[in-house]
Amino acid sequence: MKHPHIFGIRHLSPAGAWHLVQYLDEKRPRLVLVEGPSDLNDQMEHITRPETKPPIAILAYTKDAPVKTILYPFAEYSPEYQAILWCSKHSAECRFIDLPSDVFLALSDREISDAEGEEGRMNVYQLLDNYAGEDGHETFWERVMEHTHDTEGYHRGANTFGSSLRELTAGKEHDWAEIIVREAYMRRRIEDAIKEGFDPEQIVVVTGAYHVDGLLSESEPAMTDKELKALPRVGASHTLMPYSYYRLSTRAGYGAGNKAPAYYSLLWQGMQKKEPAYTGYSYLSQIAGYQRTHGTPVSSAEVIEAARLAKSLAQLRGGRIPSLRDLRDAAVTCLGGGSFSAISLATADTEIGTKIGELPEGVSRTSIQEDFYRQLKTWNLERYRSLTAQDLMLDLRENRKAATEKSAFLDLYRSFFLHQLRVLHISFASQEQVNQDNATWSEHWVISWTPEAEIELVEAALKGDTVAQAASFHMKEQVEEAANIGAVAQVIEDAFTCGMSGAVSYAAQVLQAMAVDAASLEELAATASRLSVVVQYGSIRHLDPAPLQPILNQIFYRACLILPGACVCDDGASKGIVVAMERLNSVQLAHDFLDGESWLAALWETADRDDLNTKLSGFAAAILLERSQMAADRLYLEVQRRLSLGIPAELGAGWFEGLAMKNRYALIARLSLWESLDQYLESLDDEEFKRALVFLRRAFADFTSAQKDEIAENLGEIWGLNGQQVSEVVNAGLDEEGQKLVEGLDDFDFDF
Amino acid sequence: MEQQVLRLPAEQLFQKEIDALIAAEKDPIPTGWRMSPRSVRTYICGGKVKGTVITPKYIGHERLVEIAIATLVTDRALLLIGEPGTAKSWLSEHLTAAINGDSTKVIQGTAGTTEEQIRYSWNYAMLIANGPSPEAMLKSPVFHAMETGSIARMEEISRCASEVQDALISILSEKRISVPELSIEVAAKKGFSVIATANTRDKGVNDMSAALKRRFNIVVLPAPANLDAEMEIVRTRVAQLSAGLDLNAALPEDDTVEKVCTIFRELRKGETLDRSQKVKTPSGVLSTAEAISLLCNSMALAGSFGSGIISEADLAAGLQGAVVKDEDKDNVAWKEYLENVMKKRGARWTGLYRACKELNKV
Repeated sequence: MKHPHIFGIRHLSPAGAWHLVQYLDEKRPRLVLVEGPSDLNDQMEHITRPETKPPIAILAYTKDAPVKTILYPFAEYSPEYQAILWCSKHSAECRFIDLPSDVFLALSDREISDAEGEEGRMNVYQLLDNYAGEDGHETFWERVMEHTHDTEGYHRGANTFGSSLRELTAGKEHDWAEIIVREAYMRRRIEDAIKEGFDPEQIVVVTGAYHVDGLLSESEPAMTDKELKALPRVGASHTLMPYSYYRLSTRAGYGAGNKAPAYYSLLWQGMQKKEPAYTGYSYLSQIAGYQRTHGTPVSSAEVIEAARLAKSLAQLRGGRIPSLRDLRDAAVTCLGGGSFSAISLATADTEIGTKIGELPEGVSRTSIQEDFYRQLKTWNLERYRSLTAQDLMLDLRENRKAATEKSAFLDLYRSFFLHQLRVLHISFASQEQVNQDNATWSEHWVISWTPEAEIELVEAALKGDTVAQAASFHMKEQVEEAANIGAVAQVIEDAFTCGMSGAVSYAAQVLQAMAVDAASLEELAATASRLSVVVQYGSIRHLDPAPLQPILNQIFYRACLILPGACVCDDGASKGIVVAMERLNSVQLAHDFLDGESWLAALWETADRDDLNTKLSGFAAAILLERSQMAADRLYLEVQRRLSLGIPAELGAGWFEGLAMKNRYALIARLSLWESLDQYLESLDDEEFKRALVFLRRAFADFTSAQKDEIAENLGEIWGLNGQQVSEVVNAGLDEEGQKLVEGLDDFDFDF
Repeated sequence: MEQQVLRLPAEQLFQKEIDALIAAEKDPIPTGWRMSPRSVRTYICGGKVKGTVITPKYIGHERLVEIAIATLVTDRALLLIGEPGTAKSWLSEHLTAAINGDSTKVIQGTAGTTEEQIRYSWNYAMLIANGPSPEAMLKSPVFHAMETGSIARMEEISRCASEVQDALISILSEKRISVPELSIEVAAKKGFSVIATANTRDKGVNDMSAALKRRFNIVVLPAPANLDAEMEIVRTRVAQLSAGLDLNAALPEDDTVEKVCTIFRELRKGETLDRSQKVKTPSGVLSTAEAISLLCNSMALAGSFGSGIISEADLAAGLQGAVVKDEDKDNVAWKEYLENVMKKRGARWTGLYRACKELNKV
């Protein structure tokens, strides 16, 4: 049998796309067969519509959970995409000839068990990395194939490359069996086309270079009907979706994406202009342009130097045209002053880019939409799919009357789902406040369906194939962008409410990393108490708190270490520290695994040192007192020391203010304390007394009158007066004269 | 004769390798060079040429060496920047040794370096006796390099005063030097270039002007890429150094070298080797060179006051001194590291952890 023309390509290869178009122009086929799932032919008409702007992708996904997906991305420079366009322009027929996507999806099930059983098989591209030296196959490919401006050369080169690779790896690749099946199927499709009456001369097959030998092979028969029937299948569906350069770059790996889509599109433009140096020059100028618009001056002379350096780097490797790696290294050296971080944003913008594809309206039905509707059904939420807002109350606790696990925790799963939507900013459900008593196990949602929600859902398709995947991707992004540990702790809380333990532990790891640099005690304390909540109440959301414990431990330990240092501050800042100390103390009390010893040691140091803010020293003493660490005699000594003669009055009074911020009843009950205070006040001269008065007034300002009564009783005892009388005086407030005196203190000069 | 010299220049030390590379040359040689860029790379990164083994001079980061060589091919000047102890001068010496067979045209940049040392000065006795003449002129290494079309080295450029640095600008952009006293102008021959080195820790001492920076291609030399490379460097250098110092102590065991390198790498990088945990970086320099001297010190301690084998206490003392430089902050970082990382490393690290903890008790 005569063979059709066959053109081996590399997926996502600009040179391949360009040379393929030349080749098609020369051969003028009536039928072009493209490597791609043969059940997706119906998407071709959408792909060729003028409103369609790549990058786009065909997404095939299983209809039932767990959702599995395969993605066929097309960029402007995909040879397959250009082949489809060519056919539509020249009224030739175009067909995909690879295994149908439902077979692929069924096979992907099987592969997992395969891989487990047979270790030691190798991956072609790892092999190639070793052979190519330099910097792996990407640079090798670029140097050898993408810089070729000769169609015949590319064609032959790709074929040689494919067959050598095949010789090296035949039978050893981990998916070899799948390759055999795919090629048999493709051969069948080619034969079918010839049987239909197409002259082999008028057929061009576009396929990965690796498959060229397999498709031309005489010895291998095409797939029989029986074999075709034996192929596994699953219920699957597919859709076109807009894709983005960013997603292309994250799915590195042969065929699925490439690391530098925007750079490859520069290569494509260079090909069309037939100007080999175009790519390098635009790359460097774009980086320079980005730097300039973002505030770093870059001169043209530097760009010229970078271009020269890139060229001489290429020559050192025996190339004529600089590869991406040469260009980037040259840019780092000449435009970034030797450090990559100086131009990292510019390179990301130039290499990856922010381009997003477009599709005509109504074409897209993405898997995330399917997943969304399936979950509505699973969690009995379908009746909420209306434009009127409806309330939904959830009780997250186990429903003990329910028969199955699913219905026992139905509300919890609903909550997970709704929280995931909330995290994705899909305006389907909004959460309302519930009262304090049952805040840990109850949630109140208001749900309404709007067209906007549908659009937001489609947009979220770029983040993942299911709602859960997208939410997890989104949280990962947020964690990466987070500027402080508070933001990361927020994500941990989100992930916790979404019931996504994977995201929790990922965010926790980042939190650990950032906590090292977070210097402020307040931030650490706030984060510690956030984490503490998650650890304490994790069980209601079926979350294992174990991975968070070491991080909480570490943050707490760090807070202990910096506490005394943080207490060197003015009164304004001390308010925040008091809150932080209070939080840390309750976090420590809530968790046995935290290092109580270090915490007490830090408190003792803070309480004992004389060079810290006295209010904070006082507060540390108050905590120690509350935790029964400080004995009465020690407290008495401390009061005497802090309030002794010669200590500036505001320091002494400040200390007392700190001490009085906690456990007042215990303080009031200690008669000796009031004796010391009395002695102290006696020892002050008039000027010092005025100073102390201001601070002591503040310290006692928020004591209740009952508390004041009890203090009065104490004082009465000391002064030998009737407690009742003293109480009247103390609680009476100020008379006119007193008021005046106190107002006079407003202008009191505190500098001395 | 040779034995009395403390240190030979690279081109003499590795004469055989250079000769072998020149003899086996196949690629085109740039003007003024003695071998092709590829052979220079082989000389620095190691390899084999017709049976002669070329020892690697700079381990790891082959790509940076390529960028450095490619820079010199394009007639641009090269500036090597890095933390102390990242082999900047070492690399610059070997580059000139391979390219010109002469690594001795060096100007050491100090606070006292003057403009004359970069351009030219005079033999004043002759100048007064006979007036300005070519014979009375004392040419700087840069002047020599321009005349011969070779490469001059400028060490620690950021330690020079800015007017001295500025003297380089016209030389690097015009590629000529004028001598008004003799009314002549000397143009640089093809092949002339300058390799300068600068220390990142000196930043701000005499910051380089943007104009001067623009004349250089800047290559930043990082710390060794991975633990194995660093251990290799430390092991060989400790062996070399201690051989000359009669320390009466056994060479550190691999286990010890690994621990020191691990601690240094983790503190330097701010995260554990398995990247699972971040740690705080102390303020001091924790370069490979520092690790080498730490181990030599521990050997001296063990040899003079101990059993001759480095004990965990010797190591702990050295580590404490190396890590904690600026009392408060470093102390916190070091304690955190001990508690959060070292303590959890298991039995192999327990001894060292206890020894370090002991020192931190008070």
